[in-house]
Amino acid sequence: MRTAALLLVFLLVLCFTLAAALVPAFDLPARGRRPTDSAAAVLLGEGRRMFANHFFTKADVYMHSGYYPTIFDGARLHATTQLADHGGAESREGFLGEPRDWLDRFGRNFYISRHTHLGDGAAAGQKGPGLERELLPWLRLSASLDPQRVETYTVAAYWLRTHLGKVDEAESFLREGWRENPESCEILFELGRLTAEQRKDDARARNLFEAALRKWERHEAPTAEPDLTLKQRMLGNLARLEERAGRFDRAIAHLEALKRISPAAAMLEVQIEELRRKQKP
Amino acid sequence: MLKIENLIVEYRSKEIGQPVRRAVDGLSLDVQAGEVFGFLGPNGAGKTSTMNVLLGFVNATAGDAYLFGVNVKEPVARQRIGYLPELTYYYKFLTAEEILRFYAGIFRIPRNEVENRIDAVLKLVELDHARKRVIKSYSKGMQQRVGLAQALINNPDLLILDEPTSGLDPIGRMKVREIIQRLRNEGKTVFFSSHELGEVEMVCDRVAILHEGKLRAEGKVSSLVNQHQMNLEQIFLKLVGFQPSPN
Amino acid sequence: MHSLWPLALVVLKELVRRKDFYVLFVLTALLSVLMGSVNFFNTAQIARYLKEICLALIWISSLVIAITTTARQIPAERENRTIFPLLAKPVSRGQVLMGKFLGCWLACGLCLLVFYAFFGVLSIGRSAENNWLLLGQALLLHWAMLGILVAMTLLGSVVFAAPSSNGTICFIVSVGILLLGRHLNKVALQLAEPAQSIIYAVYFAIPHFEIFDVRDLVIHHVGLVPAGPVALAVLYAAAYVAVFLLAARLVFRRQALN
Repeated sequence: MRTAALLLVFLLVLCFTLAAALVPAFDLPARGRRPTDSAAAVLLGEGRRMFANHFFTKADVYMHSGYYPTIFDGARLHATTQLADHGGAESREGFLGEPRDWLDRFGRNFYISRHTHLGDGAAAGQKGPGLERELLPWLRLSASLDPQRVETYTVAAYWLRTHLGKVDEAESFLREGWRENPESCEILFELGRLTAEQRKDDARARNLFEAALRKWERHEAPTAEPDLTLKQRMLGNLARLEERAGRFDRAIAHLEALKRISPAAAMLEVQIEELRRKQKP
Repeated sequence: MLKIENLIVEYRSKEIGQPVRRAVDGLSLDVQAGEVFGFLGPNGAGKTSTMNVLLGFVNATAGDAYLFGVNVKEPVARQRIGYLPELTYYYKFLTAEEILRFYAGIFRIPRNEVENRIDAVLKLVELDHARKRVIKSYSKGMQQRVGLAQALINNPDLLILDEPTSGLDPIGRMKVREIIQRLRNEGKTVFFSSHELGEVEMVCDRVAILHEGKLRAEGKVSSLVNQHQMNLEQIFLKLVGFQPSPN
Repeated sequence: MHSLWPLALVVLKELVRRKDFYVLFVLTALLSVLMGSVNFFNTAQIARYLKEICLALIWISSLVIAITTTARQIPAERENRTIFPLLAKPVSRGQVLMGKFLGCWLACGLCLLVFYAFFGVLSIGRSAENNWLLLGQALLLHWAMLGILVAMTLLGSVVFAAPSSNGTICFIVSVGILLLGRHLNKVALQLAEPAQSIIYAVYFAIPHFEIFDVRDLVIHHVGLVPAGPVALAVLYAAAYVAVFLLAARLVFRRQALN
């Protein structure tokens, strides 16, 4: 009995020693990722990212008041969330389709089969703004489990600052995300938007947008499919800020750069012309 | 009171190719009201199988058994009987009082009568002082007495006892004998199986001796003794074919 | 039928005197209160996540209580030999099964009342808008579902020798149906024959526990389920209860008791 117990203790010590020695050697941080030593990371290992993804999706489910496709309703529909679209195109409208049999028809009385959004007043018994707060726990939990998931910070910050009036909390959360992901252009961009729209500090916002753009050029541009939409938004915001500050030449430069990657080049050309007219004394 | 007609009980083995085992082979018995009837036989004679049929635990392969004229297959046949199993186990999380109230509920004893019955049987088996304690805390002897109490809760007309003195000390055995005598004096019928032939001689009016599923002898103890010119134990050994080793 | 109530009462007493329910309730309450005490971005009155966690814990606890309480009834009677003095009374095996079912189901109902009362208190503390009628419907449907589960487990207890294997199988089946039952028809339609027919047959044969799971409606404050479907769901549950109990009776009738 004592021998068996000693053997067990020895094996446990050996396992922990091996883990402590080997894990750092094989840990290859991805772009902008720092290894985390939170309790969740230790307990769950890489599985925490799966949980983090689940909780992020949970927030999207809450955004739609429970009306949400499962993996059985089409992998593509389930894989992407609309949370980041901030209420954009309704690609998942009517995913349920017609009932396939009487049991399916009967069962729809007992789960949510109508598409609504939080806060739009359409959900029965719940009216008015502020209901987006219901997303926060899931986003917080997701960020705790996977601090390297940048989207969580930007989405949470968006809802906090625009719908819930929690600007300080949004900024604090973004800065927390930035500490975990120092090379993230998305977080810097969102910080810039917060500074411009809520803090009304155009100078600081411009610095943040420019820093975000630099990060984008360094990390995103060399990739196989760079996120051009993000760059468009950065350039668009920069142009707007420069225009507000009266620096039309810089605004035009940003719009010119935007025109090269935007599908609405003609409209941008009109804006550039207008700025040139304003530039002339 | 109790009637068995050509009872046959067979058990099929789960293993393929094994023969069917006939535990009771054409048994016929008649127990009259008011008598104490001893059901004797060596281990494996078929006593338990017979009792199992009477109590509805097992279905007979052939033949019939009746209690109070009702076929034993009907649950109502057991309305007026009390049964004390050899091994007494009851719900450990219940108190003696709760067990008796439970069984009284099954017998549909009227509410105004239940408490009186419970008090009476607990006094009879001398468990009044421990009625509120859970069975888990009882000694073996106390559990036996709970068994006797539940067998008497419905004031049965027929009491079926399976080895009632098994595991009891001499005082316990004497108390059981006293209860059996009292029941006989009240006009109840007692049907019990036992290995204690001395006790059987003391209390029984009639006995039946079973061996290998067949009835070997039946009648009054005194008649059997006169017929065979030996005591009950010697009659028993002779009928089951036991040969003492020469010493 | 008069014997059913005494049999049920014994099961209720057993539940009250065992520790299972209290442990699960304390665990549920503790976890819910802990989760409720977390501060999310200094935002008050965040209620839905707490309701979801609490209801999930209630459902898990109810499954555990229903299955463990029911799975041990008949095997314990056999193992402890209490089945013999019981069947020596004027009660049939079918009545014993019915009495056990009634007791286990009522025990589940009692547990649900306590759990849902706690949920109600939690909801009041978090949110001013609570649909009590919907909560009542949720409780009723949950209890109906547990009726099917108890009957199914009772059937398992006369089929399988060990309560542990019966309990494990019932737990896996019930969780599987809750998660996948609604989607089996979609899976079936994506398969070729004969798999499609087999899966569709399974889809129609299994008791659809997920019908009785209206947690999402409670969490997201959707309106009441119409009375008609609720009544039909209860009848649906009653039908499955009858089927499982009848099957159990047919199996138990012929079994040796030891």
